[in-house]
Amino acid sequence: MLSWLVPQASTSARDIDWLFALILVTVGFWFVVAQAALFTFIFRFRRRPGVAASYISGERKEEKRWISRPHALVIVCDVVLIVGALLTWKAVKQDLPPADERIRIVAQQWAWVFVHPGPDGKLDTEDDVRTVNDLRLKIDTTYHFELTSRDVVHSFSVPAFRLKQDAVPGRIVTGWFRPTRLGTYDIQCAEICGIGHALMPARLTIETPAEHAAWYASRSAQGG
Amino acid sequence: MGVVAALRWVLLAAFVVCVKFPAFADPLARGRELYVLCSSCHGEHGQGDRQRFAPAIGGLPQWYVETQLRKFLAGERGYHPDDTTGLQMRPMAQAVYRDGDLQAVATYVASLRPLPAQRSQNTGNASRGQTLYATCAACHGADGKGNEALKAPKLVGQADWYLIDQLKKFRSGQRGAGPGDATGAQMRAMVNVLPDDNAIADVVAYITTLQP
Ligand SMILES: [Cu+2]
Repeated sequence: MLSWLVPQASTSARDIDWLFALILVTVGFWFVVAQAALFTFIFRFRRRPGVAASYISGERKEEKRWISRPHALVIVCDVVLIVGALLTWKAVKQDLPPADERIRIVAQQWAWVFVHPGPDGKLDTEDDVRTVNDLRLKIDTTYHFELTSRDVVHSFSVPAFRLKQDAVPGRIVTGWFRPTRLGTYDIQCAEICGIGHALMPARLTIETPAEHAAWYASRSAQGG
Repeated sequence: MGVVAALRWVLLAAFVVCVKFPAFADPLARGRELYVLCSSCHGEHGQGDRQRFAPAIGGLPQWYVETQLRKFLAGERGYHPDDTTGLQMRPMAQAVYRDGDLQAVATYVASLRPLPAQRSQNTGNASRGQTLYATCAACHGADGKGNEALKAPKLVGQADWYLIDQLKKFRSGQRGAGPGDATGAQMRAMVNVLPDDNAIADVVAYITTLQP
């Protein structure tokens, strides 16, 4: 549903959108039912000539049901949403599926440096490709990322991945994603990090393996 | 419509035009407005701030400030992943992308009166540096005051830590190696006369003895 507004470009985006849909449908359905009941009652018991209003204390059994039954329903719905949220959290944050490749993301005031593993698929080798504000990923490849910062706290936000992860100086934050859709997407720092914070966007390009290899080749032709 | 009401509309229209097309406004005034952003690192008078790695820019020639801002915008400066301070400046240049803004802020910076440069503990040998400076003098002038025709900025009055940093960046390719940066490439070639960090410290020690 959310993918109408923001493209869904990773497996985690799918999982998170599923959770959003679960919340929207559960809450939305009962919202409509509750509002319908409210307006029905307002209409049915509207002022009529000759009928005096009466005070309902809510102490009789059949009156209390209007409280206790929705109450129980809210608890049941809550449990459903919490289970859904925990399952999604586990899939997106707790589980770490085996990596095909690793990349490093270094935030600084006010730029992103991306270290790509290069044609050999391994970080910290001769053929690593470093870019500024230009992240290139292969489609259908599971990446582990190492996220860090050179100065202050930044946040690596990729709306198309439904990913937002703080970059903390002195720490290496590990996470993962698996791109599922070709195209270019936005990256934006999502933590106020100084005067240039608003000018800290970057671009994500998801390519086919052939395009990705061609990009590496063009980079090494330029001399890195 | 009364005179006051008419005046109000005229002022509003003028305001809208000036905001939409800042070039219509006085460039110096517009430059001062934009300079607020720059001043957070370069200081109110463009005196620079070593803590923020910001060089002194007050009184640099308009053409030089404008060229450098354009280089930052075009990715010819502040492009290298290791150039931490250049990467800091790059997005700042993006704040003056509108027509006229870039020239306006350069005009304002040029209008600032240069303040005495901050000194660091550079231990270079000025007399050794004088010999090395012969190469630099060809473009930057024997007095270090620069030469617009050769696109060589003035060096006197600049903080020595900044000159040292930039020479090292030229040497390592963090500056001057960007695609399309012809003057940067020229400077990179020249920097080869400085074989090591000592030579850089020496030549900068000599530059700081020159009188502004
Ligand atoms: Cu940031």
